[in-house]
Amino acid sequence: MTLLAYVARRLVFVLPQLLGIMFVSFMLVKLIPGDPAVMMLGPFATDEGLARLRAELGLDRSVIEQFGIYVMRVLQGDLGTSWQTTLPVTTDLAQRFPATLELVTLSLALALAIGIPVGIAGARDKSGVLRRIADYYGLLAGSLPDFWFALVLIFVFYTMLGIVPAPLGRLDFTIIPPPTITGSLLIDSAVTGNWSAFANAAGHLVLPVLTLGLINAGPILKMTQSTMERMLQAEFSGYAEMCGLPRKVVVRKALRNALPSIVTIVSVLYGFLIGGAVLVEIVFSWGGAGQYAVQGVLNADLNPVLGFVLYSAILSLIIYLIVDLIYFAIDPRTR
Amino acid sequence: MTAPQRLDDRPGDAVQAAPLLDIRGLTVAFPRFGAKSVAALRDIDLTVRKGEVIGLVGESGSGKTMLARSIMQLIPEPGRIDRGRIEFAGQDLRALAPEELRQMRGRDIAMIISNPRGELDPLQTVGQQIGNVLKAHMGMGPRQIRDRVMELLRQVSIPAPERRINAWPHELSGGMAQRVVMAIALACSPKFIISDDATSGLDVTVQAQVLDLMRDLVIARGTSLLFITRDIGVTAHFCDRVAVIYAGQIVETAPRASFFEDPQHPYTLLLLSAFAQDARLRRYWLGNFTAQRTEGVAAAGCAFAARCVRAEARCLAETPVLRETKPGHFARCHFPVER
Repeated sequence: MTLLAYVARRLVFVLPQLLGIMFVSFMLVKLIPGDPAVMMLGPFATDEGLARLRAELGLDRSVIEQFGIYVMRVLQGDLGTSWQTTLPVTTDLAQRFPATLELVTLSLALALAIGIPVGIAGARDKSGVLRRIADYYGLLAGSLPDFWFALVLIFVFYTMLGIVPAPLGRLDFTIIPPPTITGSLLIDSAVTGNWSAFANAAGHLVLPVLTLGLINAGPILKMTQSTMERMLQAEFSGYAEMCGLPRKVVVRKALRNALPSIVTIVSVLYGFLIGGAVLVEIVFSWGGAGQYAVQGVLNADLNPVLGFVLYSAILSLIIYLIVDLIYFAIDPRTR
Repeated sequence: MTAPQRLDDRPGDAVQAAPLLDIRGLTVAFPRFGAKSVAALRDIDLTVRKGEVIGLVGESGSGKTMLARSIMQLIPEPGRIDRGRIEFAGQDLRALAPEELRQMRGRDIAMIISNPRGELDPLQTVGQQIGNVLKAHMGMGPRQIRDRVMELLRQVSIPAPERRINAWPHELSGGMAQRVVMAIALACSPKFIISDDATSGLDVTVQAQVLDLMRDLVIARGTSLLFITRDIGVTAHFCDRVAVIYAGQIVETAPRASFFEDPQHPYTLLLLSAFAQDARLRRYWLGNFTAQRTEGVAAAGCAFAARCVRAEARCLAETPVLRETKPGHFARCHFPVER
């Protein structure tokens, strides 16, 4: 099977998958108690006012009908409007989704930079100090709540030491943001040569990235360590040792064989963190997509929630496709 | 290749007197928590001379593989050598540093394994896996490696080597994978090769091809071979000398002719008759081997006593030593079988 045919076949399935995700999330969202009309008009709304608004929003129709209308609109590129921001959901997400992506991507890069080397070191010497450090790290990272850890970091580095900017968003208010090209402040300011904005955005990223990176290095470390251990005990490693290959080569072979598992855990974490980073986003007033969706849920503002789910689903499907292509590249048995 | 087709066709000086591998009193034990440690090998004496092919026969769990791993100095945890000496080419292997041992493995002593498709790295091509060894031990560059790999693939009779060099392990048949492993073993022209049950996973016709190939290559190069197998019949047309291992002990070792014509140890007789297809042959070996079964055997004494039809009181009380019963023929038995 050629690569192109494989990708094409995968893409054919994307549409029904998305439709299914939309249906389930629509139904779940409808289960959330709270009447949007009441929320929008406030406590002093008249009964006929509420009825008129419900009819306008289509809330008087059956759920299935509502879903049909929603899907038709989505197909035209209209995700509805958020009554909280009074902006189209697509406009809101265009700003917030990249904010979350930037945060999550950098955090995962940090998590990988910590988790993989420490995991390998832990697997290599099974009774040494590094192994014990790796074990404690995994335990600690798994048990610390990320928002609490974020608060500790803010207390130490902002309140006590004052070496990072205030946890109030992605840029200081005094800095003029770069024009939106990709939505990532780092990339946009670098492309436009706006280095003061770049430095400021980078400063704001330090603590949230540290928080999510240090916490999520835990599962990556654990996965790397256990898979590496298994690979180092695998028959091919024993045979490589029997052939007198240097330890370095044996470890490299084992790592290559452990790579698919590591790629898998990273892809799962990536999809999870798009929404899972929300508590950290709130702590740092990040204005990210997760935060946006949670506010939507709390205020019966349903369009942002559905829009967020749809965007996350598309992103996850893209990630899984990329992961499969990576498998293709690294494991000849899948070809 | 113009290799001699039979062992006996080798020039008279093919097997030299000087020992290449000399094992004396090797005992390997596995300590157990809060219990007596288990001996996997007990008091092994084995000498392999230059150019000699030795068959090592034994049932599952008798210590065949443990002996191979002891020679490679790769005893699985928590096993360790309690006593004994392993000398290879005049060097005491137990005294070598880990890095020296690593360099020795694959270069001076190579191993042919039994489950090549499970033991080859699934993510490296045939060429890369052979190349690894050449790079690690011979310091060859990419061009040299490629030439040498092609040469090796041809030597182990792999058809279309220019295609196979880029094949992945999962694309190989069992016989092909076995040839690749053989090419890896031969890559650095080692002095000594251990074949650990190498052909057991193959079907009979492929097994015969691989055995013929192994014999040709070994004889042509004058490499010493320790041929570990469960199939005593294979050793008959393969080995200069045969050793039988039982419960971690060598119970009999003899030159091939003497071994098959005049087996001394009761266990050897049982092994031989188990493999004999011909009823007359079985009668020949079991001829005067029909004594009473002894019951109620204790753990002390001869390890085989519990299963031996000839066991007597002495066998239960006193551990026999490996002694020369005929010139060059050793058996670990108080009452070697007489013909």
